[in-house]
Amino acid sequence: MSSTKRQESPTASRRANARIIAPVSRPLRVAGALAVVAGLIWPIQAAALAWAISGWVSGDTSRTGAAVLIFVLGGVLRAGLEHWAGGYLFDAADRTITRERAILIGREARARAGASSAEIAALIVQKLPLLQPWITRYYVAMVRVAVLPLVLLALTFWHSWAAGLVLLIAGPLIPVFMALVGMAAEEASRRQMDEIGSMNAMLMDRLSAMLDIRLLGATDRTVADFTDRAETLRIRTMAVLRVAFLSSTVLELFSAIGVAMVAVFVGFTLLGAIQFGSWGTPLGLGEGVFLLLIAPEFFQPFRDLAAAWHDRAAGLSVVTDLDALDAAERVGFLGGADATAPLAGPLALTLAGAVAALAGRNVPLPDLRLCAGEALALSGPSGAGKSTALGAIAGLVPLASGRISVCGQTLDDDTADAWRARIALIPQMPHFPDQTLRDWLDPDERGANPWPALHQAEAEGIVRRLPGGLDTRLGETGGGVSGGEARRLMIARAILSGRELILADEPTADLDPDTAAQVIRALIRLKDDGHSLIVATHDPALVDAMERSIEVLA
Amino acid sequence: MRALLPIIRLLLTAAPWAMARGAILSVVVLLMGAALLGLSGWFITATGIAGLAGIGIAFDVFRPSAGVRFLALGRTAARYGERVLTHDATLRALAALRVNLLRRQARLGARDLTNLRSEAVLTRIVSDVDALDGVVLRLLLPGLAAIVTHGLVFLALGWLAGWPIAWAILGGYGPLATLIFWRLARRSIRPSDAVEAQDQKLRRGVIDMIRNRQSLILGATLGKREAALMALNSDARKAARELDLADRNAGAALSVLVAAVTGLALLAGGWLVARGFESPAVGAIGVFVALALAETLLQLRRGFSDYGRMVGAARRIGAQAKPRATISDRPQADLMSSPILAIEKPGLTLKPGDAIALTGPSGSGKTSLLMQIAGLADSDGISILGRAPDHWPEAALREIVAMVPQRSALIAGTIRENLSLAVNAGDDAMWRALNAVALDDVIRQRGGLDARLNEAGAGLSGGQARRLTLARAILKSPRLLLLDEPTEGLDADTANRVLAGIREALPETAILAALHRGADHSVFDMRMSIVL
Repeated sequence: MSSTKRQESPTASRRANARIIAPVSRPLRVAGALAVVAGLIWPIQAAALAWAISGWVSGDTSRTGAAVLIFVLGGVLRAGLEHWAGGYLFDAADRTITRERAILIGREARARAGASSAEIAALIVQKLPLLQPWITRYYVAMVRVAVLPLVLLALTFWHSWAAGLVLLIAGPLIPVFMALVGMAAEEASRRQMDEIGSMNAMLMDRLSAMLDIRLLGATDRTVADFTDRAETLRIRTMAVLRVAFLSSTVLELFSAIGVAMVAVFVGFTLLGAIQFGSWGTPLGLGEGVFLLLIAPEFFQPFRDLAAAWHDRAAGLSVVTDLDALDAAERVGFLGGADATAPLAGPLALTLAGAVAALAGRNVPLPDLRLCAGEALALSGPSGAGKSTALGAIAGLVPLASGRISVCGQTLDDDTADAWRARIALIPQMPHFPDQTLRDWLDPDERGANPWPALHQAEAEGIVRRLPGGLDTRLGETGGGVSGGEARRLMIARAILSGRELILADEPTADLDPDTAAQVIRALIRLKDDGHSLIVATHDPALVDAMERSIEVLA
Repeated sequence: MRALLPIIRLLLTAAPWAMARGAILSVVVLLMGAALLGLSGWFITATGIAGLAGIGIAFDVFRPSAGVRFLALGRTAARYGERVLTHDATLRALAALRVNLLRRQARLGARDLTNLRSEAVLTRIVSDVDALDGVVLRLLLPGLAAIVTHGLVFLALGWLAGWPIAWAILGGYGPLATLIFWRLARRSIRPSDAVEAQDQKLRRGVIDMIRNRQSLILGATLGKREAALMALNSDARKAARELDLADRNAGAALSVLVAAVTGLALLAGGWLVARGFESPAVGAIGVFVALALAETLLQLRRGFSDYGRMVGAARRIGAQAKPRATISDRPQADLMSSPILAIEKPGLTLKPGDAIALTGPSGSGKTSLLMQIAGLADSDGISILGRAPDHWPEAALREIVAMVPQRSALIAGTIRENLSLAVNAGDDAMWRALNAVALDDVIRQRGGLDARLNEAGAGLSGGQARRLTLARAILKSPRLLLLDEPTEGLDADTANRVLAGIREALPETAILAALHRGADHSVFDMRMSIVL
């Protein structure tokens, strides 16, 4: 993702709005309206305070009780409205995050793009929730900024044109300044997002190779590399924070200066040192206190918007990541990996002029025919494309040209699932997911007894020796058992699946001669039971054990 | 709370000076804020009275208005300084913590390392560490600043505006705010820990789904796995909703509290003024201060609603498996006469240039023996240059012994990055090493040393990946090289070329290889069978 060229333009942010904000515009509008009403209560509360205090000066302290009542009731109402608005906002964000997660979860394993699994996971878990502050804060801040300052400005002007003028001058400077900061903020958060992704990917990768790294004496170098990464993330995070802090500081300064000028103006007017600034009747103490109380609230929506601007910047960077993934080139597989009834008819497989389309290169596949009950070996030097051929036969790799036909039908999106229901694949590199051996051996959850299959694959003793038996969780590449043992467990799993055609990628690659012979015998037994076999191998003993062999040339 | 203590110590001591300055500034910010609004309110009320009384000219306007400006500017500057200092100190401490966790991971024993689930460790180093950034920034510092500010404001108000007003404000805010935050922490501890725990499960699940993709497609269970992940998401979102509600409730309660305390200050002020104890100007100060103090409380809200997440993360980090203790780093005489490797049982010694093949059926303990020699498992009767592996300092042992394990892994990046994982080597040396393992032609076809590999080294066939890890070990040129099934996945011709190539590239190195095919190869001086 980090290598993808990013384009930032007004269209990009409009697209981001259309993707994230538009679908939830209704709850956002409701929340915005509630927040505006809540904001309009403050002038009433301020007026109550001003009315009471000006009463004290003129010797009338009877107003205090009524003013307290109005002020507290206003506060309760305001709290209630904001609480209510918050509920709408959470819903809007919740819906958006769930929707985007559903898209990613439903796509990223199906059709792989270049991004690593850790980067995708970071996007889904770490970055998507960053949309929430954007959704919950930015839109409401925009609505409030459009209404509240105008109302407060009008109220201020009504009492004093000079105080109004102060606000009028200080206020609009804020959006200008914000637009400048906004650009820096977006750039900074994009760089931070990239770094989050690449730090995750780097860490995941090094953790997977941790045993090698230790045994090679590369621990210190790896830790040093990671220190650089963690440091870079800190620096980029600080860059984002600095812009955010600086902009909020400047806004605070504008607001503080504005409020202080209003306060000083009001003070001098009350003293009689300033005669201008109000409409005929001179400013009274009540009006003065009122103006002082509403001046900070005039600036508050601008400051909220500035804070939300950074949330928006972070949100836009997330959308840029999402867009980049949408546009990424993907290599998918045929079909939908849905449980389907197995393809009808006797088992048959033909490859004719097939060329597999891998990312960035095409691999020509050998022509072959296989009928039910046959056993075929694909032999050839390392890297000639034996594994790719098995992948294409399993519908895991799409074709650039040529044809694969299965049971008399073309292998395509419509037939792939039903075809796969008849085959099992034993990969060359074992990957054990984070589950118990018992669950792993029985992915269809049919509750079948695994022991006969384990026996047939000569893997009974392995499971018996493991401290947890069938409840053991192995390391991700089969740590806990030897390479040969991992291979035999995978064979047992293929047997247990009950599929007719078994594709095995180098099934004897790391077995000692005795065990290899046992595995070959197990495979032959499978064939005798009516299974068909295709093995990719360069083990002469295994090639000899198959009925036919086809040479794959690079 | 107990789980947070070591984290707090860590965060505070990483950059104590910056943190201390930040803490002082954060109190300064709050005090100046309260003083600003109080002074402005007093100023207006007092000028209003002076104006009414006709003594406007005699009233000193300059000092208060200068005070207002000073407080406004000072507060803004102090806030910027405080934020930058404390955030920087925290992020530094967290970056160091991440590195520390990774280092701890690297020091685990062979069993833990081979069973390592990288997704799980990743969430520890990324999410759990992230969760801790609020401990000081949003909980400890603002909490302490709030307490100090309220205390100082109480004293100042009592002295300036009378104790009834001071008590109205402290008595109103103190106990009720504590109650609100206590409730928020209690209400949020379960959902906020749940959100984090579900998110971590989701992260691990996504990584596992992508890495295990092939098997899920073949088993037609990909859709089921996707549905399971969405179910995890909906659990996480449900907890998030609960958390949001607790947070909003606390927010509303705080708003009402601010309104009520301000009202109380107004009542107290009104009472004092009516009794004639205070002038109206002084009586009004309380109202403004009560409003200003709201800020000290509102900024604590997020910290308390994250409390559960912080405690959970701190607990998980604290509970991580401790690395195997290194017994002694005491220097011992490097006996030049000692063999590079001596094993009492089954009676074996290796001198420079020796090569021995270790054979035996799968599961007979070949790998365990190699791991013991490499110092990753407890051993007995093994000595390297006259010293037991676990008596060697880690770095020194790695300089002497390198091992290529059976489940060898590559990293994402270029061929060059993979080869220079352990040592800096020039291009010539890299090509020589690739030539030794018969991989140079393949790499040249792929675009040379700068050709990229995907995640976990995907992009090379099994046998090619195997040879690349062997080339990586050759570049390290150790005195003792341990190879676990070096010819796995190689055809017979390539296997022969590779074994001969390694011997030729490292003539002085003692080689011990566990294998079950090719053990009769001419490079081996001897073969030794291990029986369980």
